[in-house]
Amino acid sequence: MSWWILPLLLALLTGALCPISGALLIVQGRVMQANLISHAVLPGLALAVAFGLPPNVGGSISGLLGALVAERLLGGHRQNAANHGAVMNTVLAGFLGLGVLLVPLLGIRVDLEATLFGDLLLTRPVDLLQAGGGLLLQGLFFAACYRPLVFLSVDPMGAAASGLPLRALKLALAGITAFVIVSSMAAVGVVLVVGLMCAPALVGLAGATSLRQAVLRASAAGMALSGGGFLLALLLNLPPGPLIGVLCMGLVVVRRGC
Amino acid sequence: MPPVTPGLRARGLSYHYGGQRVLHQIAFQLRPGSLTALVGPNGAGKSTLLHLLQGQLQPSAGTVELDGAPVRRCRRRIALMPQKGEIDWHFPITVAEFAGLGRLVSPRAGCCDVDGALQRVGLGAMAGKRLDQLSGGQQQRALLGRTLVQPAEVLLLDEPCAAIDPPSRQQLLGLMRQLSDAGLTLLVSSHDWGPALNAYDRVLVLDQVLRADGTPDQVRQALDDVTMGNHCCG
Repeated sequence: MSWWILPLLLALLTGALCPISGALLIVQGRVMQANLISHAVLPGLALAVAFGLPPNVGGSISGLLGALVAERLLGGHRQNAANHGAVMNTVLAGFLGLGVLLVPLLGIRVDLEATLFGDLLLTRPVDLLQAGGGLLLQGLFFAACYRPLVFLSVDPMGAAASGLPLRALKLALAGITAFVIVSSMAAVGVVLVVGLMCAPALVGLAGATSLRQAVLRASAAGMALSGGGFLLALLLNLPPGPLIGVLCMGLVVVRRGC
Repeated sequence: MPPVTPGLRARGLSYHYGGQRVLHQIAFQLRPGSLTALVGPNGAGKSTLLHLLQGQLQPSAGTVELDGAPVRRCRRRIALMPQKGEIDWHFPITVAEFAGLGRLVSPRAGCCDVDGALQRVGLGAMAGKRLDQLSGGQQQRALLGRTLVQPAEVLLLDEPCAAIDPPSRQQLLGLMRQLSDAGLTLLVSSHDWGPALNAYDRVLVLDQVLRADGTPDQVRQALDDVTMGNHCCG
């Protein structure tokens, strides 16, 4: 088997996976949470490596914890949008700083560059399994909770009035977002993953007549971006993760220009 | 045991938020099949009152009962149509799917199925359109359609006639009358202090306390003395 097949498959899987969470977070106005979670996975990764545990589990727990800390700090008071952003960004910085500090404190070796920006060329079969698991988990969640998710997104107050378990739904979405982010780490890293969550989702949402249709379109666009980005990186001899990040921005720029 | 009075009843209802009084000692009863307007100036507490009646908010004091039972036990028999501003109208969803969300509240059938509700609000031909392709008045009717799909006997409508043109308003008022004639109880909040009030059986005037309660003519007459008319938009 050619050496580039595994990285290409991971690029395609990641491209299909990320925009699903991205679309759900965009329609709920919670993209900032994805950014927070993507940075908050770092302390969990470091601790997992130090204690010989699976890094993806540690990262997912840590990412979810970051989201919960932010929610706790925001809860109980009516926050305006500026305060909301300020609290989210402060928690993001705190978790990122903690993750960077834990590396020397625990005396572990973590390839921070690959963690932050990904390295498709180092793809292992286990990365594929993890991304495939993430896609399956997310697909099941989306299918099982489709209508409550739609209700929550289109009319949050109405959904609350209807007695749906919204807190559990939001918590599950945050947990799945964290898992998606750690599953995509090998391909695009925790910093660039937000671009792959958002840009294809914006394309998918434009003109769609249902969330289901938007998510399918977004996944297709994500696969094209990620797979195409990887092949272009090979051709130009550039690192794939950052190039995919740039292509995501390019897609949004082109879309705006149209 | 005293006989159970049918309908929605508020008794001594008060609500405070952040140490401030929003509503104080509100008491009234809505009989089944009635069409009642709830009017008052901005900040009068109209939306808060509707949320209390639906059981979404807990009162600081007082009770809400439906047919003698506490409202928390029968929330699903009361549907609240939110203000238009609370909906994300650019969400990727068709009118039919949006109306169908009313079914999530309870698997029991409402007064109409989705198709029937959309026909009733005059949007049958637009079922496959995206929400953001509708005009303001059509969006209000789509919201009402979703409310009709819910298996509720009491409909609380929060400013359904806001920011729509007079013909659309007339259509909505006609539809509300049809629903009350069919036995549903409607309480409709509004800023409209003009002739449109005549479409209602009864008018409640709210400004943190209940200022007046009666037929449209009785209320207008009563309020001439307390200059409430200065506060309300015509």
